Amino acid sequence: MENFSEVMALFLSVDNFLAIAAGVLVGVVVGAIPGLTATMAVALALPFTFSMEPVTAILLLVGIYKGGMYGGSITAILIRTPGSPASACTLLDGYPMAQQGNAKKALKTALYSSVVADMISNLALIFFASYLAKIALNFGPPEYFWLICFSLTIIVSVSGSSVIKGLIAASLGIILSTVGLDAVYGTQRLTFDNYNLMDRISFIPLLIGLFAIPEIIDFYMTRVAPHVRTAVAGASLSWKEFKGMLKTVVRGSFIGVIIGAIPGTGATTAAFISYSEAKRTSPRKDNFGKGEPEGVAAAEAGNNGVAGATLIPLLSLGIPGDVITAIILGAFMIHGLTPGPVLFQENLTLVYALFCGIMISSFVLVFVGNAAIRYFSIIADIPKTILLPIVLMFCIYGAYAVNNSTFDIGLMLAFGVLGFVFNRTGMAAAPFLIGFILGPMFEDNLRRTMLISKGDLSIFFRGPITWVFVLLTVASLAFAIRRYWVTRKEEALA
Amino acid sequence: MIKLMKSRVKSKIMWTLAAASLTCGGLAQADEWPTDNIRLVVPYSAGGTTDLLTRKVADLLQKELTTVVVENRPGAGSTVATGQLARGGRGSDHMLLMASPGHTIGASIYPNLRYDPVEDFTFVRNVINIPNVMVVPVVSPYNTVAEFIEGAREKELSFSSSGIGSSIHMSGELFKSMTKTNMVHVPFRGSGEALPALLSGDVDVSFENMPTVYPHIKSGKLKALAVTTAEASEFLPGVPTIREAGKGYGLEDFETSAWFGLIAHKSFPEEGIDKLQAALDKVMASEEFKNFLPQFGAEAGRVSGDEFRQFIESELQKWSAVAEDANLKR
Repeated sequence: MENFSEVMALFLSVDNFLAIAAGVLVGVVVGAIPGLTATMAVALALPFTFSMEPVTAILLLVGIYKGGMYGGSITAILIRTPGSPASACTLLDGYPMAQQGNAKKALKTALYSSVVADMISNLALIFFASYLAKIALNFGPPEYFWLICFSLTIIVSVSGSSVIKGLIAASLGIILSTVGLDAVYGTQRLTFDNYNLMDRISFIPLLIGLFAIPEIIDFYMTRVAPHVRTAVAGASLSWKEFKGMLKTVVRGSFIGVIIGAIPGTGATTAAFISYSEAKRTSPRKDNFGKGEPEGVAAAEAGNNGVAGATLIPLLSLGIPGDVITAIILGAFMIHGLTPGPVLFQENLTLVYALFCGIMISSFVLVFVGNAAIRYFSIIADIPKTILLPIVLMFCIYGAYAVNNSTFDIGLMLAFGVLGFVFNRTGMAAAPFLIGFILGPMFEDNLRRTMLISKGDLSIFFRGPITWVFVLLTVASLAFAIRRYWVTRKEEALA
Repeated sequence: MIKLMKSRVKSKIMWTLAAASLTCGGLAQADEWPTDNIRLVVPYSAGGTTDLLTRKVADLLQKELTTVVVENRPGAGSTVATGQLARGGRGSDHMLLMASPGHTIGASIYPNLRYDPVEDFTFVRNVINIPNVMVVPVVSPYNTVAEFIEGAREKELSFSSSGIGSSIHMSGELFKSMTKTNMVHVPFRGSGEALPALLSGDVDVSFENMPTVYPHIKSGKLKALAVTTAEASEFLPGVPTIREAGKGYGLEDFETSAWFGLIAHKSFPEEGIDKLQAALDKVMASEEFKNFLPQFGAEAGRVSGDEFRQFIESELQKWSAVAEDANLKR
């Protein structure tokens, strides 16, 4: 109890609350602007935190991180431009919903799923950190390899109407992900001696190009502007509807927690696995991809479930799971703190004060998110003739801003054309994206495993974790194949 | 009416011209460097170690000199930003770059670099050095560098790194080539991904940066066999240098570290260099800087000006040889 009062003394300060509120607000706004990512915001905010109290400084950065996770979904839903990589999955059903006049409902679904997932993730951080950290530490290259194999099976469920086309798109994604320097030998692959390609194809320009640009090309080709009053007039989300999705949200949150606790896998993967699981178990399978609220809920729950959980390896092991947590690790060090087991021994009060702040940040997200919905949904009411040129400008700026590189603008436009071709040929962009993200992880971990074992294949089945993922992979594939045959039979009968 | 307006416009133009000539005169008189803000380029993304250190140095430097604006320009190791600095042009008389091992390693392994890593630059000062530490998992049977080398001669061991061409990777390659052992390099994408494999014993050794492994050495999950610098580190008392611990195994000249230093375009004004060096001396003598260093297990940089240049030349020589040896020249 003595500790409790110490924790409260450390946590209850105006500065902390301001930091959380400001962080979440900045995160939501930045996350919503295409090309400006939460990562950039956290990195740029870092120098401002040098002079703050450690707890305040870290809460500000965590606030930005959490706000950014949600913010990315706003523009994904409204203008098909994912503000962050993880919200590419939210767009699959969010944008169709907005087109059908349900923008408000989509945004609210995204917000409340995010908040619930965020809280579950925080609780996992607070109560199961040490346990989950142990699992994370048992994740060596072979375990990663099987996790990625399992994740690759979700390509089938996000392939849209044709699995074959989905596989083609995914292969294309994998091929493009090999551009750059080979990770083991450093050989150049498909770089054509161009410096801009040595660090691999930049992800944000690809994302913006693939999703936002085709809409713009499409509009100017067809010139049809059905001006639906989407946002303000649209129906909101009722508690009953959300209750119906709660199971999906909770499942997505757990997926997010597990993926988040394993360093280096990422929110995008979690979002897609959660989405794929929701689709597999839903009675309205066929509505996924056409504006299914549960799809939005699953995606957002998956990616926000990651937010608290990535702090698990960071705080308990001192291992940053992604770029943002690596920056937060820097913030700890600037303030003379070393995350890891030592932190829990020497600065327990501070850790608990942080936990309090992190919990509060979820509640702040409800308010900031609702305000953001109110203001951002105006976007949906702007006539497309005015909106699209502005979106294009943001796309160009966003592609440039990531690396201050004009080459990336060209890259973005090229992927725009590719995305347009995808749309016209009925290929889904999501499998392409998954291939692009998971391809390198698959290759890296396969090669690392072989390097470590010196060619001995038994390493792939070395322990319970590998077996769990082997079985999951097989089950997922079997399910996908069965479903494929059933649908074909149904089609043949019809 | 129109005439009146015309004359008003005319008189306005006259006044503007007069004012402009005055300001120009003023500028010509106050020709002392710096005449503008200093732009300090970080050749890596925001949020990394280089970025963190640079922003702190920039913060302290501007208290001594003038406003310092930090810019991140990542790409192809650090060679994109370094190439831009080498080209010079407008504003290069106020532009600095925080160079690090990537400067010399990049030059050793990247093909057809469009600049000379020594001749095209002026070397201002080495500001910060971070030692690398040779660490093995706690489950490892090796407790000294000598034992490790003996082990590596018996069977093929593996070393992890944060990626090909990193100072961690190259330290491993240097160790390999000097001890004539055969170790397999297992690259990861960043130290965050590399750590779990090291902690669990999936890889046998790493030559990681001090701040990454320090907490794990302290908590007993990793064993520090040696530091890679020429002198022992005050953060790891009792841990020898690789030079000492590897005596008799060809490691007498072993030295690597993650160094950070400011470089500028070759035609950077001499007066500017003098002022920068003076300001940096003050920065590095400040309490704030001294208090900042331990958080990164870092030490203040030692060399400046010509000595810094010679250091770069020797680094370049070392890494070119290692790159040649490890077949990394692309």
